[in-house]
Amino acid sequence: MKAYKLEIRVTTICLILVCLTGGFLSSFFVILNESFFSKVATPAHLVQYYGESMFVVQKYVMGFPLHYFLLIVFSWIGVSLIGAIWCLVMDKLEDQQRT
Amino acid sequence: MEPRGEVFVLGLILSLAVLLISVLISVWARRFTRSLGDYYVAGRSIGALNNGLAMVSLALSLTTFIGLTALIIEGVYIAVAVYAAFTASFIGLMILAAPYLRRHKSFTTMAFISERYDSKTLRIMSVIVMLVVSVLYLAGNLKGIGIVFYYLLGVPEIWGIIVGGLVVTLYVTLGGMYGVTYNQTFQTIVLIFCMMFPVAVVLKTLGAAGWAFPPLGYGNMVTLMETVKPHYFWPMLVHPVTYIAIFLGSFFGIIGLPHFVMRFFTVRDAREARWSTVLCVFLVGLVNTTVYATGFAAVYYMNTSGITIPAAAYDYMVFLLVEQLAGQGWLAIVVAGAVAAGLSTVAGLLMIMGAGLIHDLYGAIKPAVDDEKKLRLSYAAMFIVGILVIVFSLNPPQFILEAIMWSFGIAAGGLGVPIVLGIWWKRTNKYGAAAGMIAGFLLCFIPWLMIGYLGMNPVEIPFPFFAKYFYGPLGWIKITAIGVPVSFILTVLVSWLTPPPPEALQRQVDEMHGWQDYEPKRYNGKGLPITIIVLAVVVMWFMTTLYDVFPK
Repeated sequence: MKAYKLEIRVTTICLILVCLTGGFLSSFFVILNESFFSKVATPAHLVQYYGESMFVVQKYVMGFPLHYFLLIVFSWIGVSLIGAIWCLVMDKLEDQQRT
Repeated sequence: MEPRGEVFVLGLILSLAVLLISVLISVWARRFTRSLGDYYVAGRSIGALNNGLAMVSLALSLTTFIGLTALIIEGVYIAVAVYAAFTASFIGLMILAAPYLRRHKSFTTMAFISERYDSKTLRIMSVIVMLVVSVLYLAGNLKGIGIVFYYLLGVPEIWGIIVGGLVVTLYVTLGGMYGVTYNQTFQTIVLIFCMMFPVAVVLKTLGAAGWAFPPLGYGNMVTLMETVKPHYFWPMLVHPVTYIAIFLGSFFGIIGLPHFVMRFFTVRDAREARWSTVLCVFLVGLVNTTVYATGFAAVYYMNTSGITIPAAAYDYMVFLLVEQLAGQGWLAIVVAGAVAAGLSTVAGLLMIMGAGLIHDLYGAIKPAVDDEKKLRLSYAAMFIVGILVIVFSLNPPQFILEAIMWSFGIAAGGLGVPIVLGIWWKRTNKYGAAAGMIAGFLLCFIPWLMIGYLGMNPVEIPFPFFAKYFYGPLGWIKITAIGVPVSFILTVLVSWLTPPPPEALQRQVDEMHGWQDYEPKRYNGKGLPITIIVLAVVVMWFMTTLYDVFPK
């Protein structure tokens, strides 16, 4: 059962991380909007679209808004790495199962 | 959108070269096909590198080249979420399904469901779901090929659909899975080259820093874009459950889309299945971020040059941009890449439809038929399916990405859930799987009929009852946040309330996970089903909250 528990634990952790990068991170940007955006008065010509107040991006990384940069990096480089780590663990587990 | 006005000879030559090479590869690969296993799963002999590259071309269809660029230009943050979810979904597919399906030794998704649950009825039901999602996916991609031909030659899109459809039908019928695999590998190399280099030239012309690496070469255009489109990077325009819905659709949709899953039945073993996915996700991310650069460059170019392009023509934007900023030589290369992208995805879909009809449907009705006859029938079925799909695609959807997103949602609810639970929870039985499949399929398919086909307003559809929450940009996507959770809940509850599956079926779960022995306690706890039900209820409840906060 030791190898089984390892499979379940590693899979669960990797799955949570992939879920986070794949969809929940975007939701958090909405819920935690004040951490990533500043609320300002909407310019007059845009009031009809956005209401009296709107959000502007607070921080940039390499020219990109922070939340956007986080998302593309995590969802590309991040999941590739998570996938590779999971593969390495499963390769090891497979060798154990064969012996 | 008007065509270019003259026949684009260079683009035509390169496109025809791609088509010709594809047919030649299939003729060459035909020599490897000697049995039904060779025809459908390439004798399970494909390595990780080859399979990973073939998967990339499946993933990067014309939706990527054309549809995603259009969505990015629309300036909706949802495009970012679609990209993130789609990229991550490949790792989800790998962690939850790929190596286990490979060990199961089925030919197709439908065969897996039938054998795991020991049910012919489920086999027929899954073939029906497969046909629906495949046709939706195909219609979108064939329309894309029509767009390319229209722009190149000025002929109606219908001719592109017919010519492209016939070529793919020919090479899939001829070469079987060997032909499809080697073609997809070739097409991946073509499309990565044809996307990265022209976009780098476009970025250089626009003066973007870091133009040589398109995925990150467009950062310094962001500030200008924000002055003209302040909402461009706003995630707050839509209810956060929209992003969870996109994630659920991508994550379980890709597991449910049989042409993706079929690739894992072709590899040598589970290890090759895993590493091919890692390679695939890295390359898919590379190309998708390049597509982002294209979309950003288009927004930047339109707003600095004063050129106005109607929203209906955004599907053509990648061609317009490359022609204006990089020149006709690069345009010809992009066009060839687009043709390759369209062909590869269509080929994979035709393959699974032919396999589903002959191996899974005909084979279930007449199990005594020998493999040699099935192989002969497969050639005929593949050809007939190709022709039928061309006829169906003559009335394609307006925007290709929309059709693809619907097919992901329907596949998630109808096929993704029974596959995942069939691998990870021994207690899942045929009654639970049937209940989940029917509910998940109908909850996504009926809304597609009403919204995607009949054009009804998402918030006014009579079914499901949650329709009033489908508001906002692309609000119908939230249907997936009902279809998938309901499918999970019903599968778990009905399985619990009905007798457990026989030990022989439960043993399959241990075997899929690579265990030599059988241990009843493995993959049989209460933690997983309880967690699933709680999460499913929370997602559906979350959708009903914050109703007054977001724009309708």
